Amino acid sequence: MIDSPGLCRELRCLVCKTTSHYHQGTPIGGIFVASETVENCSSHDPLLDIDSSDSSSGVDTDEYLELQFRVLRLAFLLTIFSVGIAGFFWGTQASASLLVGALSGIFYFRLLARGVGRLGTSSKIVGKVQLLVPVFLVLLSSRFPQLDLIPALLGFLLYKPALIIQFLLMP
Amino acid sequence: MDSITTAASVVAAGLAVGLGAIGPGIGQGSAAQGAVEGIARQPEAEGKIRGTLLLSFAFMESLTIYGLVVALVLLFANPFAG
Repeated sequence: MIDSPGLCRELRCLVCKTTSHYHQGTPIGGIFVASETVENCSSHDPLLDIDSSDSSSGVDTDEYLELQFRVLRLAFLLTIFSVGIAGFFWGTQASASLLVGALSGIFYFRLLARGVGRLGTSSKIVGKVQLLVPVFLVLLSSRFPQLDLIPALLGFLLYKPALIIQFLLMP
Repeated sequence: MDSITTAASVVAAGLAVGLGAIGPGIGQGSAAQGAVEGIARQPEAEGKIRGTLLLSFAFMESLTIYGLVVALVLLFANPFAG
């Protein structure tokens, strides 16, 4: 049984060398045993599984996805709460603007999380596409008279309390 | 809106975005460098490192967004326009 990730990596290199060495004609037994060992190793440690780490999302760790899920769930809860309060105190137009802004903020956070997830695996930089979301939000609120600018911007920033709460709750 | 207000608004919008993006840009670069080095040194902690990086990126990038919002308000919803 192999437990150490470093040992697994060494074994993977050894298998590559063994395969290239024995490929020219000598027995296949050595290759078979080593490949079987590496299969066991990668099944125990998903971080070393090259095929799964090259997936489209770029990150295969459950912890990161779980953090995103917690922040998004908290942001949705804050959105529902604040939209209800805004609708009660300031009317339908303010609450609709707040809802649009909050959904934009959640979309922005999702894009940012995707950019961070790709960092180091399929991309060397964090993309700036998410910065277009507040631009479109301001343009929308300036074009459509049904949307107010200030509630939309406050709604856009609603993901930050969710982040702060999540940051405080982190062990 | 008279021409002086228009010119001042355009200059102020450019300055708000440009100056507001310097600090977060430097901070994000150094944070990403540290995170990638940390992941390479300790791959089993990738989830935690990426999570912390995401939270810090969100906080850093909000500074850029503040400057961007000020610039967009000056350009498209200028309160000083008579």
